[in-house]
Amino acid sequence: MGIRWSRLTPQLALAPAVALTAIAFIGSIGWTILLSLTSSRRLPDYTIDWSDPLRQYRRLFADLGWNIALSNLIILAIGSALAIVFGFVLAAMIERERRGEDFFRTVFLYPLAISLIVTGVAWRWIFNPSLGIESFFHSLGMTWVSFNWLADGRTAMYAIILASVWQSSGFYMALMLAGLKAINVEIWSAARMDGVALWRVYLEIIIPMMKFTFLTCAILLSLGVIKAYDIIVAMTNGGPGQSTWLPAYFTIKAMSAKGNLAFASAAAAMMLAITVVVFLPLVLLTAWQQRARKGAAG
Amino acid sequence: MTETSSPPAGTVMFPRPKKRIRGRSIAILVFLTMAALFFCIPLYVLVTTSFKTMDQIREGAIFSLPEVWTFEAWRYAWDEACSGITCEGLKRGFVNSLEILFPSLIASIAISAVTGYALALWSVRWAGGFLFLLFLCAFVPFQIIMYPLIVITVNMGIYGSIWAVAFIHTVLAMPVLTLIFRNYYKDIPPDIIKAAVMDNGSFWRIFIEIILPMSGNILIVVLIMQITSIWNDYLIGVTFGGLGAQPMTVNLANMVTVTTGTVSYNVNMAAALQTAIPPLVIYFVLGKFFVEGIAAGAVKG
Amino acid sequence: MPRVSFEHIVKKFGEVMVLNSLNLAVDDGDFLVLLGPSGCGKTTLLNLLAGLSDVTSGRIMIGNRDVTELDPKDRRLAMVFQSYALYPTKTVRGNLRFGLSASKLPQEEIEKRIAWAADMLQIGPLMDRRPAQLSGGQRQRVAIGRALVKHADVLLFDEPLSNLDAKLRTEMRMEIKKLHEELNPTVVYVTHDQIEAMTMATRIAIMNGGKIEQFGTPDDVYERPANLFVAGFIGSPSMNLLPATVEPGGQARLADGSPLDMSAYAFGAVPPPGTALMAGLRPEHFALAGPAEAACRFTLKVRHIERTGSDVMLALAFGEATLTVRAAPADAGHLRTGDPVSVQFPKDRLNLFDAGSGRRI
Repeated sequence: MGIRWSRLTPQLALAPAVALTAIAFIGSIGWTILLSLTSSRRLPDYTIDWSDPLRQYRRLFADLGWNIALSNLIILAIGSALAIVFGFVLAAMIERERRGEDFFRTVFLYPLAISLIVTGVAWRWIFNPSLGIESFFHSLGMTWVSFNWLADGRTAMYAIILASVWQSSGFYMALMLAGLKAINVEIWSAARMDGVALWRVYLEIIIPMMKFTFLTCAILLSLGVIKAYDIIVAMTNGGPGQSTWLPAYFTIKAMSAKGNLAFASAAAAMMLAITVVVFLPLVLLTAWQQRARKGAAG
Repeated sequence: MTETSSPPAGTVMFPRPKKRIRGRSIAILVFLTMAALFFCIPLYVLVTTSFKTMDQIREGAIFSLPEVWTFEAWRYAWDEACSGITCEGLKRGFVNSLEILFPSLIASIAISAVTGYALALWSVRWAGGFLFLLFLCAFVPFQIIMYPLIVITVNMGIYGSIWAVAFIHTVLAMPVLTLIFRNYYKDIPPDIIKAAVMDNGSFWRIFIEIILPMSGNILIVVLIMQITSIWNDYLIGVTFGGLGAQPMTVNLANMVTVTTGTVSYNVNMAAALQTAIPPLVIYFVLGKFFVEGIAAGAVKG
Repeated sequence: MPRVSFEHIVKKFGEVMVLNSLNLAVDDGDFLVLLGPSGCGKTTLLNLLAGLSDVTSGRIMIGNRDVTELDPKDRRLAMVFQSYALYPTKTVRGNLRFGLSASKLPQEEIEKRIAWAADMLQIGPLMDRRPAQLSGGQRQRVAIGRALVKHADVLLFDEPLSNLDAKLRTEMRMEIKKLHEELNPTVVYVTHDQIEAMTMATRIAIMNGGKIEQFGTPDDVYERPANLFVAGFIGSPSMNLLPATVEPGGQARLADGSPLDMSAYAFGAVPPPGTALMAGLRPEHFALAGPAEAACRFTLKVRHIERTGSDVMLALAFGEATLTVRAAPADAGHLRTGDPVSVQFPKDRLNLFDAGSGRRI
């Protein structure tokens, strides 16, 4: 019997992808976790000190910067959730008032096409205390207005939240609009004939029908928040002080600091852990939802 | 109870008043317009500031139009502005970004399309497990694989070149793009493959002669998605590009963050716009596909 | 009590005229079916009555209320939709209650009505399920229940049976008919299925191209179609339409030269000799043999035969055209393709139309 090429070729064609997955993802994740258990400094050192394998993690959680990064992560997640709400409101309005749909969609979505570095540059300029929007309000006589958010560690995160809401609302709007359009028009007609107030229709019928879309948005939002890096570099570079550090920023900083490889790896491993912790329940919930839906249909 | 006779054609009985725009519609449109204004502010400020002179900028009226429209800042940002230690403007970064873009696009789309095709249409026994693995990989934070990838590219001898950046783009895009291609190809009836195999078609001939011609739409969507994401990338460029292969975004970030002496806001804004123009042009020209790309690549985040 | 009337209704979508000066009225307790091919404007008309879209001009009356400018909820209507449009995230009970929640009825009245509808439609055991957990027929019942609990003046149905399989459709047809007989509401029912129309309606409005071609009882539209469109639309297989020319003495001659006896026909006005006619002969009225007084008789060759079990459909070669005849298996079971067969058409079943205007004579 000869070789059955029809069996073998597909597997050969998959080889590069399998190799990349095995090396660049699985192998590399294992490698980094291994490093996080060692005391590697400038160069990797693969001996694990079994008496205290988790010392890098202890150092990490004792680190002020890391703790700031974690609390900022939560602040950013809550703040950015506004983008989902805002996105839904915009989508609902566009869907209700068909006029100008293409125009509004184009305007709300263009920030997504722009690099976050550019976004950061633009917003940093707007928040410029002496020349930006603050001076605009002051020149109108509203001297009590303060937009000098970036210079103050207590408000800098809010500026970043504003910029990321600006950047991502259109994206959630697009997802929500697709979700709204998937709703049978007869549902709307039925609700209209029932004479139920519009806000109740949204609250009791439409939003529950779109819970799958909301879940998707929540997953994407949390991933985006965990990965947030470029916008920090462009807007605050972590400052003032350490007030806008985020785990992604902290880890890259630790990685490029040299001489602290094991510590940086521990931070990276924690980022993975956060992703898993946030992400797994959401994905399982989504899968469960889908299955429930499928089971019901069948 | 029966049909009454119609009046002569053209007579309008019981005319209804022209529908006025309802109050609710007006409220919605006003809100949407205000939201649109909010979304336009940064772009407006970027454009106007980039055409102003520094003298006008120092007056502090951020929303005013340029008194004199000058291209000086644009020219300076492109040709002379300092980014880090070099002062060659953004043009180097622009060329680098282009040089990174093409190999990244070709490699990432080629490998993902073939993998997606094999997984969707050829009954590979472990396809399900591998797809799930790819799905998980799509969510892995870059930081956890960053150091090993640096070591790998250094050992491949490409670290600090555009090839390293292109290679990493290919690796990181592979899981999501494969899922997208696979989802697209799985809707092709498997009977087509069976028929083609009966006609002595091989794996590659079927791909090139039957599947690729059917992939026009998804290829455009993926292409647009990849162009914007590769062009807008900062982290991979700064990590793997070294000093010689920095993409435009890295140049821009260096230009605006590491400035000594007086800050030329007009130059910064011009540089930011120059970086943003290529993806913006694609967005405004091919917006429909861009939206589809968002839906398809929603997992990419 | 509510008499529903459409007066001079014009509906344009942009520049496209969908309904042009349409008039129609039904009495209280009537079961009106709007019947027609797709795109004839029947659903548009129903949506205008429901208030889901606005008339361009004209007036809609329910009883003596002008409802043209009213919001759907103020028109005292209830509607059953083609896709049922049940709220997927609410239980059956929740679906029934949601529709009443805006009505400010006392709680016990709401519960009473829900229990009444559940009982009426035998959906009691399903009350705590969600629509996704119901079969097509059950969803249909819930959708009807949701309309019934409102105690609306007029019930509207928009092709409610089109998503069901044939057997369920027959069952639900009976059920809706029974409901109408028990509760006797005014019903406006849209469908493209003539069986539904013939079995349920007390009045049928046959629509085509935004106009009402005929309005009458099921018997009217079947026995005395008002024009060629209705003649061809109602009945399955459809009526044979043969061109003929009027001759003196209550006679006409068909295209093949054979005589047509019109002496038993109830003419509105007798057409002058020479008038071009269309003679409508229903396939089911032909007889293969028998002494009936014939309007015409032919001996024709069988082109092909279709047996359905209960009937035999004969396609006979009438020159180039085909004459369809329905016969009993006992009479026609022995026939083969190519066999000659004699058929005759009874005098009193004839339909005659003016070939020019298409109207019934």
